[in-house]
Amino acid sequence: MAEEESQFEEFEQIDFLRDRHVRFFQRTLQVLPERYASLETTRLTIIFFALSGLDVLDALDVIDRNTMIEWIYSLQVLPTEDQVNLSRCGFRGSSHIGIPYSTKGPGVLHPYDSGHVAMTYTGLCSLLILGDDLSRVNKQACLAGLRALQLEDGSFYAVPEGSENDIRFIYCAASICYMLDDWSGMDIQKAIEYIRGSLSYDNGFGQGAGRESHGGWTYCAIASLCLMGRLEEALSQRELDRIRRWCIMRQQSGFQGRPNKPVDTCYSFWVGATLELLDVFQYTNFDKNRSFILSTQDRLVGGFAKWPDSHPDPLHAYLGLCGLSLIGEPSLRKVHPALNITQRAFQHVQQLQQTWRDSTGSCSRQH
Amino acid sequence: MFAIITLPTVVLDATANLKKHELENVSCCANVNVNRLLLSVNAPHPCCQWPRALTCTIYHAPLVSRQEIPPVFLCFRDRKEWADLEPVPQDDGPNPVVKIAYSEKFSDVYDYFRALLKNDERSERAFALTSEAIELNAANYTVWHYRRVLLQALSKDLREEMRYITAIIEEQPKNYQVWHHRRMVVEWLNDPSEELEFIADILSQDAKNYHAWQHRQWVIQEYKLWDDELDFVENLLEEDVRNNSAWNQRHFVISHTSGFSDAMEREIQYCLYQIKKAPNNESAWNYLKGILQPLGLSAQPGLLERVLELKQTHCSPYLLAFLFDCYEDALENSKENVAEEEQQKTLKKALEICQLLAQEDTIRKEYWLFLGRSLKNKHGSSDPSDEPLADDPEPSVPVSEQQEMS
Repeated sequence: MAEEESQFEEFEQIDFLRDRHVRFFQRTLQVLPERYASLETTRLTIIFFALSGLDVLDALDVIDRNTMIEWIYSLQVLPTEDQVNLSRCGFRGSSHIGIPYSTKGPGVLHPYDSGHVAMTYTGLCSLLILGDDLSRVNKQACLAGLRALQLEDGSFYAVPEGSENDIRFIYCAASICYMLDDWSGMDIQKAIEYIRGSLSYDNGFGQGAGRESHGGWTYCAIASLCLMGRLEEALSQRELDRIRRWCIMRQQSGFQGRPNKPVDTCYSFWVGATLELLDVFQYTNFDKNRSFILSTQDRLVGGFAKWPDSHPDPLHAYLGLCGLSLIGEPSLRKVHPALNITQRAFQHVQQLQQTWRDSTGSCSRQH
Repeated sequence: MFAIITLPTVVLDATANLKKHELENVSCCANVNVNRLLLSVNAPHPCCQWPRALTCTIYHAPLVSRQEIPPVFLCFRDRKEWADLEPVPQDDGPNPVVKIAYSEKFSDVYDYFRALLKNDERSERAFALTSEAIELNAANYTVWHYRRVLLQALSKDLREEMRYITAIIEEQPKNYQVWHHRRMVVEWLNDPSEELEFIADILSQDAKNYHAWQHRQWVIQEYKLWDDELDFVENLLEEDVRNNSAWNQRHFVISHTSGFSDAMEREIQYCLYQIKKAPNNESAWNYLKGILQPLGLSAQPGLLERVLELKQTHCSPYLLAFLFDCYEDALENSKENVAEEEQQKTLKKALEICQLLAQEDTIRKEYWLFLGRSLKNKHGSSDPSDEPLADDPEPSVPVSEQQEMS
């Protein structure tokens, strides 16, 4: 039975159109039409998808690194002279508030300007992918801004003005602390409690206690614990085995995000990376996963969509590539499953952190 | 908003292409022998979209004609009531990245939004502008935050705001900001009375909308609205027994009300009943396993037998996996007096299930074989006459065929 199936699959061999995807990300980095208006406040995450996507494709040479680095630094919310806005520091998603362009401090006082945890996270990732040394990041300010976002129950707001709070922002916070090599930005114990509380009766993780288990939130939970180095402290072996089962049941061809929902390209990464972190990704079916991801490839404009015959978007384009990278697609760089950047970029992070540790007292210089 | 009509004729009345309850917002002008007539419409009801066109009834003796005139948006920079404010453009510097190409209208609204924000202006005109900004981009969380500041500073009618946010969520039910805004308004009003019905309506359009379920759980827990929720869940499961969100809600309700001890037999019955109707339903099996898991799958008397019976007529990979889990639980939690022979029998059954799963649930073949090997390593006896598991490579070497990319 299995042999017959794989013969049919050979006929359907879909090729991976690397150059189209490079051009897709190049275009994303330039100009988007007005119908993408809803992405305005999250433009920095879009940059991250494009830059990390190009990195996975080993095509970062097509962009002007310095231009990108400058623009990202212009999004940093820096402390004012008197530091009265310290708890609002971090990175913005874009210039939508109207702060005049500037890549250096001191910060400008504005009643509504503050960082957003997902933008601080993707901003730092993007700088690291571009090879920047984070010397212009005010790390202490970022960490102060981060501390201000954590609630009593261990979860995080996205912004100090208040927003919804859930496990996504715990992942952003953990990534920020990991990259800055400084866990003073969060109360780890409380975060672990919130994560444990989000474990559902069916052994996946929801966005918070009582909520339906979901591939994205399961990734946030497991990846956060891995970044914190607390996976086996927070979850027993039995719990981990049950979580492995929940995750591996998500594969139908590609992966779905929840039981009885359709498969979607992005879960090839969210669930795939979780399985990789739990050491069982090798037991999934690579061929069926690959076939599904490639069926969502847009052969004309490049990129990937959530489903076949749908419009591609930067998120699915990036996560589709990451999904392929996990199964060892030859032309793609390997991705660090917890930090969601290439292993190459991850090595840069490690080297950078080593220089911080080696240098005598200069690592936390304020700007 | 304004419409500009060029006419040599007389306009006697104008009605806008709006929903019924907005008609009172249209004011009519009449003029004689004017070349251009500015027809003004008071700001339409905030919960509605801009009309696509104004339909004007134009009388030109002796003819009556109807014209459809597309409304012309008058920029804020051209409105005299806004002349005191200097618009603030977006500044992306010399080399913008992922720049969105906004139309003049879009930029105009947001240039004035930025101006208001800079001054932290608290006024009716600011409030009205947030509606326009939201219309253009309902995902801009700063606009929503500013609107909430104004709602409080101006003591705006929160019931009106509930109507507004209701309409917006109906149009954009997968947007985080709109649900968060609704939650804030409900909290301020301390009135959840519309929530369950509203969420039910959203769920009737998409029964698995994660935002809707999340909001529903918050309302129920915050305001203790548990009473009718189990009925609601059962109706949804009647409509679609595979609705995983509904199964999750079932667990949510019961765990916060009666708990699972007295209800256990009833819930097991419910699961088995639903499984008989739709055997290949992962949600039902996950629920059954989930409620039994805290006590141990092998602790429930008679359950294994019921499932083995079901295996004859309503088999599925989920049933088989459940059996495996029962056997594994028995091995893990065996009491001191359970004979080694008994253990090995249970192990053998579990390994047979793994083989079956590897054949039936082929996409997870390698995983089921891995589970079998792991179980055998953990609980297997050292008896050399034990048959090896089929396809059993050395434990440290993963099955590698699939990892060679063609």
